[in-house]
Amino acid sequence: MPLSISSSERSDPTPRGVVQKEGALPAGLRLTASDRPGQAQPVPTRDVPSQPWGMIMLGVVAGLLIGTVALEVNARENIGLHAGDIDNSEVSWTNEKLRAAGAPAAIVGDSRILFDTDLNRFEALTGVRPIQLAIHGTSALTLLENMADDKDFKGVLIVGLADTMFFQPFDGYGGYVHKFKEYRSPYRIASNEIDHVLQRRLAFLDSNYRLSVVAHRLDPDFRPGVEGPMDDIWKLQEVGEHRQTWMWDRVEYDPAWRARTRWAWKGFKEKFPFTPELIAKGQGRAKAAVDKIRSRGGDVVFIRPPSAPELRVNEEAQVPKEKGWDVLLRNTHSIGIHIDELPAARGLTLPEWSHLSRRCATVFTDIYVRRLTELTPRFKLRADAPPPLSRADCVSA
Amino acid sequence: MIFNSLTFLVFFALVLAMHNAPFFSWQQKKINLLLASYLFYAAWNPPFVILLWLSTVVDWWAAQWMVRAKQEHTRKAWMLISVVVNIGMLGYFKYGGFLLDNFVQLAASLGVNYQPPKWDIVLPVGISFYTFATLSYTLDVYLRRAKPAQHFLDYALFVTFFPHLVAGPIMRPTELVPQFANTRRATAHQLFFGLSLMILGLFQKVVLADGFLGPVVEKVYDAHEGVPMALDAWVATLAFSGQIFCDFAGYSTTAIGVAMCLGFAMPDNFRFPYAAIGFSDFWRRWHITLSSWLRDYLYIPLGGNRHGPARTYTALMGTMLLGGLWHGAAWTFVVWGGLHGTYLAVERWLRSRFAGWRPGPAAIIGLGLLTYVLINITWVFFRAKTFPHAASMLQSMAGLAVKPIPMIALLPMIYAMVIVGGIVGTHWWMRDKTLEIAIERTPAWLVGGLLAVMSVAVVAEQGKGSAFIYFQF
Repeated sequence: MPLSISSSERSDPTPRGVVQKEGALPAGLRLTASDRPGQAQPVPTRDVPSQPWGMIMLGVVAGLLIGTVALEVNARENIGLHAGDIDNSEVSWTNEKLRAAGAPAAIVGDSRILFDTDLNRFEALTGVRPIQLAIHGTSALTLLENMADDKDFKGVLIVGLADTMFFQPFDGYGGYVHKFKEYRSPYRIASNEIDHVLQRRLAFLDSNYRLSVVAHRLDPDFRPGVEGPMDDIWKLQEVGEHRQTWMWDRVEYDPAWRARTRWAWKGFKEKFPFTPELIAKGQGRAKAAVDKIRSRGGDVVFIRPPSAPELRVNEEAQVPKEKGWDVLLRNTHSIGIHIDELPAARGLTLPEWSHLSRRCATVFTDIYVRRLTELTPRFKLRADAPPPLSRADCVSA
Repeated sequence: MIFNSLTFLVFFALVLAMHNAPFFSWQQKKINLLLASYLFYAAWNPPFVILLWLSTVVDWWAAQWMVRAKQEHTRKAWMLISVVVNIGMLGYFKYGGFLLDNFVQLAASLGVNYQPPKWDIVLPVGISFYTFATLSYTLDVYLRRAKPAQHFLDYALFVTFFPHLVAGPIMRPTELVPQFANTRRATAHQLFFGLSLMILGLFQKVVLADGFLGPVVEKVYDAHEGVPMALDAWVATLAFSGQIFCDFAGYSTTAIGVAMCLGFAMPDNFRFPYAAIGFSDFWRRWHITLSSWLRDYLYIPLGGNRHGPARTYTALMGTMLLGGLWHGAAWTFVVWGGLHGTYLAVERWLRSRFAGWRPGPAAIIGLGLLTYVLINITWVFFRAKTFPHAASMLQSMAGLAVKPIPMIALLPMIYAMVIVGGIVGTHWWMRDKTLEIAIERTPAWLVGGLLAVMSVAVVAEQGKGSAFIYFQF
């Protein structure tokens, strides 16, 4: 006999129109509001099926525990994920954005400056730890404008850019920065914090390895003409506290993974029509944003991190340095550090051609921050700064 | 907050613990539930709690004064005040921008260049749901179907009770208020079954809707360039039929499970809708609490089927058009409702024209399939953002697209079709059953095994809190 929460438990006199006591119908059907037109609806009947629920729940809990342990072991042993690798969520970005108010320095840009900057090294050299606000797959221009609109930011904004992404006419992945308030709802912030607590301990909690994502990746482009999961960029980075991001070590040690990522970049050959008008529009937007930041006492510097020759040749073909970078610095009257003008940073390891290896990111940071201290009085080299790093510190002979 | 968030897990564990704590009286437990419900709602956007209070207070007093009124026109006035406040609130927040846009377009068509300031009002989550729930209270009292609640606390808890607050099932006061009269506490079996329903609901939402079906739908419906091949257009639309069912039915199932864990009963909101034979059958199975609400408070007052065919068809179409608009402030939703209204009207006419016809088994399957296909046509208008987009999708589905391109990879397509096939097949198998009966007839080891697999799948999918589709309504 099924247990039930039923209308028979009514305590007050039944008003007109209420159907008196009704249980599950013999055929297994149950009346719903759709069967009772034009009348007050009674307290619903909810049966509990006759089953040994205690045993069932015990089995479910045991299954859940075994399944979770299996997921964790698989993540660590077979996939190479690490506990402490925190998802770079939208909420995390908004957390950092709030920290940027009043901060002496912040970084915006695409994935290159995100991967290629070691915040610890930056701090060790200058005593300043910039707020990391770069977002992968996002136009640095979008983020530059976003910071320009933030009246509370009066520090130095380091804008890292890949020329093609900077001048593209769309925001890219980080378009969510325009929905800042949406990501500041209390439950999202709380969920993000709980998520991080768990991710510091469990390796399998990685959005790149969700069940459906893994299942979809089994498709090796079976269907001609379709951009399938194989064309996506799979896991590339690890993220620590405050969005410190570096390359996932598997990209460095697994040749197959590295090759797959290089293939997915497709050499950055997909030609977007970077017309002179489009580039000029981008230059105008950049100038307006830079002027806005300077008008309240802040400053802007530009950094162009390295990319491998295999990509660089196609990037240069789409937005030549003299039309993009050079004009940008001239128009905005800004200082900039371009990889071409940083001989010490040449030859660093770019495992998948677009981002530096973890160790080389530290070396690159060391080189560009020292150069920054020479170019702007806003950053000063600490007296107790660690000794300089060089290519030899990250590239084996 | 939403059910598929880590915050909710913590919140629910605390609420459950407090609800079962021996040191609280029933009155204190109800206050705890009320405060928890406000917290649940405020976790989305704290200031919008004021709207909940406004709705609660206005309808409480409207019902009180309605009962005390000596004259009919006074009763009617209080009912109208309640309707105006609630619909006004809904209209301002949900339809203000839509009305303004249409006014601007109308003015432009008349040669008037009117440029109003940007309408930048955030839609309070679940406003359509709790507005309808609280309206049913004053309307039931006005129609003398129900007595007003005896205690303000019980009534306030009816409006804000968190399991149904933001996406239903849309509860009537007579369904919930009496449950607050006496102490409620789930038995161990109710608690375990409630937890099982939560696992099932979250599996539907997190794994099926968000994980496997959503990406297939987005690949086609959110494509920036190109028109899909017929296969892709159909697969995406069928996948959307599965996604929206799993999303919304998943929410309802979770809500019912949450309430059951606390010892409360909530009504069914879905009854295997994709096994419907005909559209009146579909609406007896899909979003039951909304369709019955519209029937009781709109269709019947508009005349229902009591004043001849012309009035019946007008009431039917009016109800479905408004039902469409309830889902979203866009003309595509109105067309979605209009299509359903047309289907219902045609079905009604056919039933009267062929009153003596009794379909055989083959005809039943054929009619069921036809119903499902025609419902999928309506989903195109529901999912597409604009009419040109909807037209383009329908053109592709008809095989008339010019230079169509493939958009969905093979394996995701197969997953989606297996899941949708499974959903439709399950609906037909369960057509004349309840979930409870089906579970009762299944061996315990299989029930436990399935629940364990579903819970591991939910964990493996790591649901990151994608909002439920119906929250935007």
